[in-house]
Amino acid sequence: MAYIYKQAKFKFFELLPLLILFYISFNGSSTIDLKYFSINVHYILVYYWVLREPKMLGYGFIFLSGIINDVVLGLPLGVNALSLLVIAAVAAYARVVTVRITLISDWISFIPALLLANFIYFLSLYFSDYSVDYLFLFKNSIFTFIFYPVLWVIFSLILNLTKS
Amino acid sequence: MDTNREDFGIAIRSAFLTKGSKQKFSLFALIVLSIIFLSVETIETKPLKYLRAFVKDVIYRGAMVVSTPSKSINNFSDFINQHVHLYDDYSKLKEENNELKNKISEKNFLELENNQLRKLIEEQVSSISNFTSARVMLDKQSPYLNSFIINIGSNKNIKNGMAAMDGKNFIGRIVDVNFFSSRVLLISDLNSKIPVMTEPSANHAILSGHGDSKPTLEYLPKSHNIQDGDKVYTSGKEGIFSPGIPIGEVKIEDDIAKVLLFSDLSQITFININLEDFHSDK
Repeated sequence: MAYIYKQAKFKFFELLPLLILFYISFNGSSTIDLKYFSINVHYILVYYWVLREPKMLGYGFIFLSGIINDVVLGLPLGVNALSLLVIAAVAAYARVVTVRITLISDWISFIPALLLANFIYFLSLYFSDYSVDYLFLFKNSIFTFIFYPVLWVIFSLILNLTKS
Repeated sequence: MDTNREDFGIAIRSAFLTKGSKQKFSLFALIVLSIIFLSVETIETKPLKYLRAFVKDVIYRGAMVVSTPSKSINNFSDFINQHVHLYDDYSKLKEENNELKNKISEKNFLELENNQLRKLIEEQVSSISNFTSARVMLDKQSPYLNSFIINIGSNKNIKNGMAAMDGKNFIGRIVDVNFFSSRVLLISDLNSKIPVMTEPSANHAILSGHGDSKPTLEYLPKSHNIQDGDKVYTSGKEGIFSPGIPIGEVKIEDDIAKVLLFSDLSQITFININLEDFHSDK
């Protein structure tokens, strides 16, 4: 009984990043937009898990969640998928070249990921004739970067639960 | 130097092209697929249109189910908020009621006068309208797009460009039609530009959304005489919407003519769409 419980708990925590990924895609809540700041949780989630435990968040699922998010938010199909894959690509590269992963190294390598993803996001919307709020995009990038350590701690707790 | 370049190449290859132990697709393949999706988005062929409409319908239904818990939480918090502000609302409504009572008698007189004037100029007032109602399925006010999904589409003859109304107030237009769902782009959205006119100042302008609840009037004549409280209506200039659909009233802030909408866009559950009024050839 204890073994089954342990296995179920392990399975649940292993699936948790995937569940969160699809929940925020279907719910259209990839960007938490409050009065003075906005955070792109989707980016942080993808970056963290691809960097730390890529087998828990397949690239195919990331692509699919991006497509779902595009449909829910009414953006051209592929915009979010492409941005998320760019985030995943930078995370995958950082994983290959980094020997010891720490919060600081994660946080610093998150800067190019964020810049590149938002640049791709801007380009895709620009060529699809969508108006882009540059100030919002800038504010979003800054706060997503600042907020990264908070989610890093939460995700690290989840990651430890899958290992314990 | 060469070794560094080789290392970089190996790292890139490893990150982009190699599939991980549990990965079914390589990153490179998926990035290419995303770019193909983006390019295909501009192509308008019937099979692609049907496929897109089908995919969107399925995802909207899924999103509706997934967002049920957060919707329930929001409803509950609204319910609590309403109870907390009960007394304030009561006082405000009492005040408004008195004001409205005064205005009704004024309105009756104006209506009578208006009818007499219409008869005088022998204007035929046609009021053939065929409204269809729709329920808001998904209300995802993303920072990038202020829109919502309604539960009718081409199955109820909905077409792109039709005006969406909350009661009799204009709130947006249809921008994407699927089989059983459509997307309404709200007037508060950054991409929304609606030709309007103001009353009684009688100025034509473009109502531009900015992503917040107060769209602004743009392209006003230099010598305009717009004042706080002027009413804003659709002008019907672009030929798609009927003229005279009420939108809101003007509030000038920092020399910018903002429009306070008659409808609260965050509280809409049902909308009306006038099918009769729309002609696709316009």
